Amino acid sequence: MSNRRLAGLAGLLAGIGLLVAAKAAGGQPAHQQQAALLPVAPPTTQPATQGTPPPTGGTTAPPAGPHTVDGSVIDTPYGSVQVAVVFDGTKITDVQTKQTPDIDGRSVRLAELATPILRQEVLSAQSAHVDTVSGATYTSDGYAQSVQYAIDHSHG
Amino acid sequence: MSSTYETAGRRTAAAAPAGVRRGAAHWLVRVALVAGGFAACGFWWFAPVSAPLNAPGPVLTAAGRLAGLLGAYLALVQLLLLARLPWLEHAVGFDRLTAWHRGLGTNVVVLLVTHVLLVTAGLSFTEHHAPWSAAVEIITTYPDIILALIGMGLFLVVAITSARFARRHLSYEAWYLVHVSAYLAVALAFFHQISSGGDFITDPAARAMWIALYAAVASSVTWWRLVVPVRRWFRHAITVDKVVRETPDTVSVWLRGHDLDGLAARPGQFLLWRFVTVGHVWSAHPYSLSAPVLRNRMRITVKDAGDHSARLARLRRGVPVFAEGPFGHFTADTRRLGPVLLISGGSGIAPIRALAEQLLRERADVVLLHRASTPDVPLRAELDAMAAKGLTVHYVIGRRTERRGDPLAPGPLRRLVPDLGQRSIYVCGPAGMTTTVLASLRRLGVPPSHIHTEEFSLR
Repeated sequence: MSNRRLAGLAGLLAGIGLLVAAKAAGGQPAHQQQAALLPVAPPTTQPATQGTPPPTGGTTAPPAGPHTVDGSVIDTPYGSVQVAVVFDGTKITDVQTKQTPDIDGRSVRLAELATPILRQEVLSAQSAHVDTVSGATYTSDGYAQSVQYAIDHSHG
Repeated sequence: MSSTYETAGRRTAAAAPAGVRRGAAHWLVRVALVAGGFAACGFWWFAPVSAPLNAPGPVLTAAGRLAGLLGAYLALVQLLLLARLPWLEHAVGFDRLTAWHRGLGTNVVVLLVTHVLLVTAGLSFTEHHAPWSAAVEIITTYPDIILALIGMGLFLVVAITSARFARRHLSYEAWYLVHVSAYLAVALAFFHQISSGGDFITDPAARAMWIALYAAVASSVTWWRLVVPVRRWFRHAITVDKVVRETPDTVSVWLRGHDLDGLAARPGQFLLWRFVTVGHVWSAHPYSLSAPVLRNRMRITVKDAGDHSARLARLRRGVPVFAEGPFGHFTADTRRLGPVLLISGGSGIAPIRALAEQLLRERADVVLLHRASTPDVPLRAELDAMAAKGLTVHYVIGRRTERRGDPLAPGPLRRLVPDLGQRSIYVCGPAGMTTTVLASLRRLGVPPSHIHTEEFSLR
């Protein structure tokens, strides 16, 4: 291989390194920066305000009827996880998936497998204490944290 | 070149073409290809992926994905360079396109190997798994990854068989067959890009653009490398007419067909020939025309030095022939000066002989210098006939060891053709001879713009 070709190849690989460095340094997607502003579990006082406001939910008094509370956005190496929890009084009646890891086809596929299992676990446990779905550790942990945040903020 | 692939009429690589008169359009193509590379990076940069790059795992994965994206882009460029697109052939030229293809090949394979290694390393870091169990996890959980792995294996085989040491031990046909499997490799790798690639699964627009890019390349390749040659066969119906042995080691193949002037092949050009018969059909070979094309007949002259060219002698009348081309800028109309000096060596006589006839017909002042180690000069009778009509022919016969000094050194060359400075010079012959002639001409002060040669070798 000639020196010129070798230099071209080295330049190509160096370019990849530079682009990755540049992206890691500052080129985060916009919604990622937004998400970073939100508190990540364990939450303290700030109510969930992101996304669609709960249809009936106030934040000052415990709501009586069905209402939806958004969970926090949890970062994982494969993308963010966020759920919305539907309450009837204090009972959890549904967990909706708002965002799951999306970095590649494997993450999407694993999330598709894991979320129905995690939802069922939350519904039966009526809490965020769920077993990790094997192979989807990050998604399971993120899911649980997001659910916990919603529970903590369901009573205002 | 000592390889067995050298054949008459196939122009062999001149180490450094002193100057082939050609436009600057190839720079536009270069810029477009680089811009395309940046556009491919754009898919990665703007991918709506929400994972932060704040740990070794995600960083390695991101780098691996970028390497894969660029590797895929370059693999498509590789196919496009050899897709016989007419405007690309015109702007860049077949010889240069082939050289680019050869130069880029290593980059594609290195990028793809990097992609595999980095993605595996990334998962290994993120999941805290050993690399091999990360590899198993990738194979079992990524969609379409098995197909991509088979494609990767094919790419590696293509790369290994194209390495210089392997080429020396492989027949042209074996190399060609393996090389063609790169099409399959590109197709196999496509599916995991669409179903596993983070840049494309979440963004329908990026996905559509990527699919469109593949569709464009696939249709170009199908059209120009499959449909056009087949349609051309139906139009011209080229078949083998007869095989004539010119010298003990050179044969001419006469071809017949309809409306052959419609091919627009000029003397000095070559076509890629595929003979549809046992032992030939799996590979196409570049051979120059050794005479101007007639309405229903044309001819190539080939030195039987390689496995394929030796078998040409046994071609039967009526064998169908697919011809791609014409290719090449080694033509009389690109010259700057009216008078011409043609220099051929060994096998290079084929295109030079064709050029001589055309130039003579145009009443140009032509000197032909042919260098050969033995007096068996192919087509010698035709050259002598042309000499009677005004062509000046010098045969420089004998091995260098038998003669005193190289007859193509600056001094002897100038003595043979004193007015070479006032002539456009066409050089075609084995690589060693071409290099010697170009060096001598440079020493004699001939400007590069007066010299025509073509860097050429299919692999």
